[in-house]
Amino acid sequence: MHIQELTLTHYRNYDKLQLQFDDKVNVIIGENAQGKTNLMEAIYVLAFSKSHRTPKDKELIQWDQEYAKIEGNISKRKQRFPLEIVLSSKGKKAKLNHLEQKRLSDYIGALNVVMFAPEDLNLVKGSPQIRRRFIDMEIGQIQPVYIYHLGQYQKILKQRNHLLKLLQRRQADPTMLDVLTEQLIEHAAIILEKRFLFLGLLRKWAQPIHQGITTGLEMLDIEYLSNIDVSEESDKETLRIAYEEKFSALRTREVERGTTLAGPHRDDLSFYVNGKDVQAFGSQGQQRTTALSLKLAEIELIHKEVGDYPILLLDDVLSELDDSRQSHLLGTIQGKVQTFVSTTNVSGIQHDTLRQAELFNIQAGKLVRESGGA
Amino acid sequence: MYYPEPISKLIDSFTKLPGIGPKTAVRLAFHVLSMKEDDVMDFAKALVNAKRELTHCSICGHITDQDPCSICQDESRDGTLICVVQDPKDVIAMEKMREFNGKYHVLHGAISPMDGIGPEDINVPSLLNRLKDEEVEELILATNPNIEGEATAMYISKLVRPSGIRTTRIAHGLPMGGDLEYADEVTLSKAMEGRREL
Repeated sequence: MHIQELTLTHYRNYDKLQLQFDDKVNVIIGENAQGKTNLMEAIYVLAFSKSHRTPKDKELIQWDQEYAKIEGNISKRKQRFPLEIVLSSKGKKAKLNHLEQKRLSDYIGALNVVMFAPEDLNLVKGSPQIRRRFIDMEIGQIQPVYIYHLGQYQKILKQRNHLLKLLQRRQADPTMLDVLTEQLIEHAAIILEKRFLFLGLLRKWAQPIHQGITTGLEMLDIEYLSNIDVSEESDKETLRIAYEEKFSALRTREVERGTTLAGPHRDDLSFYVNGKDVQAFGSQGQQRTTALSLKLAEIELIHKEVGDYPILLLDDVLSELDDSRQSHLLGTIQGKVQTFVSTTNVSGIQHDTLRQAELFNIQAGKLVRESGGA
Repeated sequence: MYYPEPISKLIDSFTKLPGIGPKTAVRLAFHVLSMKEDDVMDFAKALVNAKRELTHCSICGHITDQDPCSICQDESRDGTLICVVQDPKDVIAMEKMREFNGKYHVLHGAISPMDGIGPEDINVPSLLNRLKDEEVEELILATNPNIEGEATAMYISKLVRPSGIRTTRIAHGLPMGGDLEYADEVTLSKAMEGRREL
């Protein structure tokens, strides 16, 4: 799929901007603090209706303005349709093909985006939260109903934690804990089942890519760390029973601690290269290669599941990768994935893909189009 | 504000109503000034009477001007069947259907630990007393199909189960007269779960 045209109104440091993009590679060049990342972020917001940088929509609105608007013309599997996001102090509106979508799960998934930013290099060594966010976002854009279950789960979790705090002080009826546990398990089992399925696919796509980048030297494996004793092949019913057993075993401790001690919100991923845990024993380079393999696998996975390649956003990461990883990355996307690359300097990157790219020069929120060829 | 006190008090009163913001409140207040005095008196009386003469039925918790309410007093209704709802408005909705001939119990809310609402803060204790005193055979749980409503229904059914009274939950599924293609995934999957033999 491609973004053919993007229009920003009162977005961050852009007052009004309209751009036509190339179907292949678009390079955004500019000094620091000129708005390169803001442009990448805008495409991300158009896909997910929220930013990857901040949970506060208000920050996306230009200073002194009432609202911010992002419009994009998308072509996907021979269809063309407009997308629109309007953010204001009253909330946000998401329009798909001119029609407002009340539920975000009806909107997300219309545009598929894979972003690779410097913080993604922390995917392997960062906190478990980053890895959970990664799987949740990716499953969400392939299967929007997952977002619903995740939302319900989080609501029940909040209720349950409040109840456990009350029970800690003996101020509530323990029967209510059975009720909330039952509700929590229903969604927990669905979430875990979908995560297992996704992980199987991710592993399948990431392994050959990782071998490719490391010229066959490294074998990648991914393990899902859940707090119940089940295998990835378990069906929903098995997961449900396992959670039931887990929560009844944890009951006394949960009341003592006043918080929920098991469930998908406490799970994690582990990555292994040639059998060694990358997070604990991998070099910085191995951790980066692993993150890169996962992102490239995502592209293939979305292509397989959705039937079209997603849009790839490379925000200031090309310079963070060495020559061989750079050329592997650019080789993978060559010709098939519409890619946006932001960089301060294009001269350090030598690859055919970039020579044919469309270049955009950016200064203080204004874009100057340049013809192709560096 | 530059309004004389009587009107600013009126504006202030209107803003206490749900869905009324400051601008609408000003418009309504000025409209009251232009109304005939008799109409204004009737309006004021209706407000006061609604509050003074309506109470909650001591049996079922429904709003009523006589205690017990007309539904609880109605001998022709089946007292072995009780439909549990969250809100008096839900009783009205059920009554419009004209098919349910049992009695009601209005909870006035749903259990939500997050908001500090426990079973004793809604009409659960009075429901349990009713089940002890009356000859009830079936309890229909018609709370809202959201997390708190479901939790409340599950909680009540757990409390009632040992007594042997049958507890049922109203079905979830597709609205009548609608198109299948417009149903969301969640409703559709609930409808599939609740399918039945023809």
